[in-house]
Amino acid sequence: MKKILAMILAGGRGERLYPLTRDRAKPAVPFGGAYRIIDFTISNCINSDIRKIYVLTQYKSLSLDRHIQRAWNVLNGRFGEFVYIIHAQQRINENWYKGTADAIYQNFYTLQQEKPDLVLVLSGDHIYKMDYRGMIAAHVQNNADLTVATMEMDKRYSREFGVVEIANNLQIQDFQEKPSKPKTIPGKPDRMFINMGIYIFNTDILVKRLIENARKPDTQHDFGKNVIPAMLKTDRVFAYPFIDNVTHQTGYWRDVGTIDAYYEANMDLLSDSVSPTLFDPLWPIYTSEKLAAPVQIAGFELHNGETYGIALNSILARGCRIQGARVEHSILSPNVFIDTYSQVVDSIVLDNVKIGKQCKIKRAIIDKGVVIPDNTFIGYDRNADARKATVTDSGIVVIPKNTVF
Amino acid sequence: MPAKILIVDDEDNIRFLYEQELLDEGYQTILAKDGKECLDLVQKDPPDLIILDIRMPRMDGLEAIGKIIEINKDIPIIINSAYSTYKDDFMSWAADAYIVKSYDLDALKRTIKEILAKKRQL
Repeated sequence: MKKILAMILAGGRGERLYPLTRDRAKPAVPFGGAYRIIDFTISNCINSDIRKIYVLTQYKSLSLDRHIQRAWNVLNGRFGEFVYIIHAQQRINENWYKGTADAIYQNFYTLQQEKPDLVLVLSGDHIYKMDYRGMIAAHVQNNADLTVATMEMDKRYSREFGVVEIANNLQIQDFQEKPSKPKTIPGKPDRMFINMGIYIFNTDILVKRLIENARKPDTQHDFGKNVIPAMLKTDRVFAYPFIDNVTHQTGYWRDVGTIDAYYEANMDLLSDSVSPTLFDPLWPIYTSEKLAAPVQIAGFELHNGETYGIALNSILARGCRIQGARVEHSILSPNVFIDTYSQVVDSIVLDNVKIGKQCKIKRAIIDKGVVIPDNTFIGYDRNADARKATVTDSGIVVIPKNTVF
Repeated sequence: MPAKILIVDDEDNIRFLYEQELLDEGYQTILAKDGKECLDLVQKDPPDLIILDIRMPRMDGLEAIGKIIEINKDIPIIINSAYSTYKDDFMSWAADAYIVKSYDLDALKRTIKEILAKKRQL
């Protein structure tokens, strides 16, 4: 048995997720009604029997800290199992993390203490379900120095990802960072392999290559841009194609780096194809449990006859109360209250939001604690929305946390 | 211009001995007695090579390495400790060489020569 340590990178600024990241780190952004984004990655570790987990943070980490404390303070340190948060400590130099590679470099002390055989480097802002044990087995079998998880994707997204060229024996030949003309898969001219940002390193090689990177003059201290392309010349670098172990197809994986991607990934949870994959009872996604009353969908008698509450094709977390209102194709976090004659469609509503009477809300993300007064329309008039909220190119309206109307 | 070598060691005798030997070899020398003095000199009077002890007061050699690299990535570092156990410490891998202290300075001198020759080629 190889000794494995997981290091989850959770230190990005998440600027493209603004304003959801105005008050919190990207991995702490709420997701899917009950979760935080990072719960998927940590749950993958736990379900893969990897129980030594460090989460590396730096910006706006209070809400992430609190969540890790509440949700993940369940492993037993006595048996060497833990989820610990490490803040940028300026132990090696007086900087914050300058890139993904630098985040690990600055935590050599932690690696030193644990002395794992393999280091599993993960990202805290991906939504997917993956058994890392298959990847570890492939790493060992290939006698690899580094294994990179890859997946097939349509080539039109190449500007958003690292693109990987793979030989028949799965050894990686070439690495292109966000190319406009990606190398496609032989026999599949419209498809490419992308780097999922999931890495298994032999610890000694990782340490050596990070030191070399730290001493290079022009480096962005990034695994995808600098460290791995350099390793292709010196080390055994293999790809691990990500296949879902139930469907045997390319697995579901999303990088929720932008508002639109975040919105789509949430909405995917309402689809017949994704929901069973992500919420497989054999692969639980854990989170902190909030005590709240059961969901209540209440009818409400009015002077002109009877109206009723209804929720269609939606996810509702505990404590939600739909009182004579209509919720359709939406995701509600705990303790959302929607009052009579209101409609919420194609939207994501986070904790403790109150929506008044006769409101119409469409294609919106409403962050925590917002109180929406009666008769408010959101998502129907782009110009009006843009005056008080962020509106994405695709028309998603984001109402920031605690906005007062 | 002879190469300038920064000798970092908390023991006065060792600094004195190394200085004499390296001057005889035709190098210039500057001296620091701990990691903090070393960083000061790297900033104000950058040397061509650093000979770095590990166990020192105020700031030890392993802590100094990370900070030296942060100030200047190009200065080669030779760790020169009485102990070989620090070879297991990842930060020691950031040095260009690790030479265990000995009365005979030949290995150290040879390594200095090799590293400086390699640096001139770059």
